[in-house]
Amino acid sequence: MAKRAILASVVIVLIVVGLLPAVYMTLKSVLVNGGISLEYYYEALATERIWLLIEHSVILSSVTTLLATVIGLGLGILLGKTDLPFRKPFTVLFTIPLLVPPYITAISWFNILGREGLVFRFFGPGTAQITTDWLFGLPGCILVLFSTFLPIVMLLTIAFLKTVDPRLEEAGRLFARWPYVIRRITIPSIYHGVLLGAMLVFLITMGELGVPTFLRFDVFPVESFVQFSAFYNFGAGTAAAIPLVVITFLFLVLERVFLREKTQILRPVPDGEKQLTIPLGFFRIPLFMLVGLFALLIVIAPFLVLLLQSLSVTAYAEAITKAGDSMLRSLSYAAIGATALTLIGFFCGYLIHNRAFPLWRSIDSMTIFLFALPATVIGIGLVSLWNHPLTGFIYATPAIIIFGYIAQFTAVNSRITATSLARIPTSMDEAAVVSGAGWFRRLTRITVPIARRGIAAGWIIAYILCLRDMGISMMVYPPGYDTLPVRTFTLMANGTTELIAALCIIMILATLVPLILLGAIFKLKPLAKYV
Amino acid sequence: MNSKKRIPIIGLIAIAVVAAVFAAVTGCTKPAESEEVVIYVSEDQVFSEPILKDFEEETGIKVKAVYDTEETKSTGVMNRLIAEKDNPQADVYWANEPIRAELLKGKGISASYFSPNAEGIADIFKDPDGYWTGFSARARVFVVHKDVEDAPESVKAYVDPAWKEKGVIANPLYGTTTSEVAALFTLWGDEDATAFMEAMKENGTGIATSNGESSDLVAAREYDFSLVDSDDAVNRIRQGKDIKMVYPDQGEDEIGCMIVPNAVVFIEGAPHPDNAKILMDYLLSEETERKLAFADCAQIPLHAGVDKPDELKAIEDIKAMEVNYAEVAKKLDEIQPYLKEWVGY
Repeated sequence: MAKRAILASVVIVLIVVGLLPAVYMTLKSVLVNGGISLEYYYEALATERIWLLIEHSVILSSVTTLLATVIGLGLGILLGKTDLPFRKPFTVLFTIPLLVPPYITAISWFNILGREGLVFRFFGPGTAQITTDWLFGLPGCILVLFSTFLPIVMLLTIAFLKTVDPRLEEAGRLFARWPYVIRRITIPSIYHGVLLGAMLVFLITMGELGVPTFLRFDVFPVESFVQFSAFYNFGAGTAAAIPLVVITFLFLVLERVFLREKTQILRPVPDGEKQLTIPLGFFRIPLFMLVGLFALLIVIAPFLVLLLQSLSVTAYAEAITKAGDSMLRSLSYAAIGATALTLIGFFCGYLIHNRAFPLWRSIDSMTIFLFALPATVIGIGLVSLWNHPLTGFIYATPAIIIFGYIAQFTAVNSRITATSLARIPTSMDEAAVVSGAGWFRRLTRITVPIARRGIAAGWIIAYILCLRDMGISMMVYPPGYDTLPVRTFTLMANGTTELIAALCIIMILATLVPLILLGAIFKLKPLAKYV
Repeated sequence: MNSKKRIPIIGLIAIAVVAAVFAAVTGCTKPAESEEVVIYVSEDQVFSEPILKDFEEETGIKVKAVYDTEETKSTGVMNRLIAEKDNPQADVYWANEPIRAELLKGKGISASYFSPNAEGIADIFKDPDGYWTGFSARARVFVVHKDVEDAPESVKAYVDPAWKEKGVIANPLYGTTTSEVAALFTLWGDEDATAFMEAMKENGTGIATSNGESSDLVAAREYDFSLVDSDDAVNRIRQGKDIKMVYPDQGEDEIGCMIVPNAVVFIEGAPHPDNAKILMDYLLSEETERKLAFADCAQIPLHAGVDKPDELKAIEDIKAMEVNYAEVAKKLDEIQPYLKEWVGY
């Protein structure tokens, strides 16, 4: 009874907070001049440009995914399975771009390759013009998004490498060298995990608007954006967002057919059986240098330039004066949002994993649908639904931002929980049932303690998502209570380069410092294991 | 469950509780109604925030603001104002051009208020019914590269074969460029204005994402000239870039230079109407205009005789384009599909 009541409550919260605003906006998209019409949808798909934008989006997403997958897989194997020096520092280093909003990475690259950037200073205007032309367009977008999302595949590869049966690799080593074993045994064993990472990269890149807008490469999400920002047409904006949702669902179907069941049955090998490490031998130092050089180019260079630009006491003093309050607010909203998401995501994931309700698949789809929906659609839906005198205690307070986080990000915690729960043998729960333990007791004494590290890792991922969120916060933050990413973005219009660089560094520190402290306090294992 | 295993979960809940208390203290407590005013702002935050801080210090009224981002990057406060129509949260809207103010009037989101401080401002820059009042304006000017000897003097340079592929303009779907194009449609009529736009395209006019980028392209001599806002031009001149500023169409028979004032709007059903009026009066004061003239945004005071930096012409020395902003707003709505097509969206 308690089980059904709690799970039903979570579903109701999700429907009220997430689905209703989306339904409201969808209704707006089919109600034209008082009648029902698909006019906005026809308009959204009628022009040739739409198909060009879809083509741009697909090319950008495909190339980014291909690069992130191939290089992420290689890096993941090097950092997760070999004796390469400084593997852990490298893993942290390559993960940094994932922790900050992609537009900050884009700004960093602009400071290097832009018309008045580092290249201009060292190589003159001719070279700077070439690099600027290269940055502003498809290649620049690929560079920024690839370096941002590379860690997804890399971390998943490291995580799934722990599930490879060492006995298979040992058997392979009896008659072949490591490269052959990796090609024929290791990679095929983690194939589905890597594809899961590739799918995530593809979907997130498809929905990305900030970087392509900054680097002037028109992609499909711009269509919905134009309807909102140039025409203030909520219905047309929502209609223009629907093809994105359709593409997401196509991928969801593919995942269900090819990946889901297979990724969830992967188990880490028992503690007794140690994973095999590949000795790099002669290649250890050359590969170390290669990875170091790659880190220098992809991560260190852009963020170092940002750091150098910000190195002025005045800039930091101004940044703290202008955005100190926003930073503190961001930290608290992210902590609350992450806890709410962990709680709701846990029960949602539990429901999906145990198929507790007949409609479990619909609930999974609902969270993915909300994850794929542009933040503008959810934001305006939330404003329209919650901005009433009776609900002012929600709309006029930061609670509305937390609602936005729940609406958009529950899918992430739900999926992490489902993956964590899949690692718990059902026999443990069954044994507790036989000995008479109730649902709540089993949940608090068996499920949560065993899945605790996964839950904590989910909290951290949710914390990062909430902290770097701008789409939802921008649309709903109460007057006077903006967040740090929002303030950074609003100050970008005519703010000095030093101020913006200092704000970006503060943003990175605001993400990293609490995570490092939490990691030190709770001694969390690498996040990768639970992604 | 042993205590060690409980630590992460209990710890995370503890963090959330502490954060919630902090958020409650900083975010949920509301000052008494008489102590605050809520303003939505489309003017750049770096320029508008100091003015609002001064207002707070001088009046003791707390200002709660929602700021817009650059138009091409955000859906901004206009969408919020429209979505909040039935239960407004804002008292005042500080628009960075009057077209949006007209749009709000048309949607019944704004209310009438005649500020006593608006008296010295010319009627052309005010809504006759009091739904918005202009102050501190930008002019739509040419930035021309310093090495260009005979600078263009009319917007018609964009269609002059002598300037083929030498002009650039910001995306006319957004901001002040949209307003200027719509203004030309109201002045010239649909047929002539459409022909002008088509000729502009045929003449190889470049399209930039913003006025700032247009100015930079001219400074880098990728193009010879561009129509931009005067603040973009002054900013870059102060940075020492190789550009000069030209006020277009100043001849006797010419259409004049478009003036784009900021506009302050009183929101219908404002939760703090009295404070809203005090803030509006403050924004429309000569002192605010003086501050905005000397700030990096270098805006032209609309009250005569207000101090201004040397780079700016006084409003009385500029031949202003005679436009009716209400008609421009209406026209803008009509031509949006055409502009979308023109840009290629």
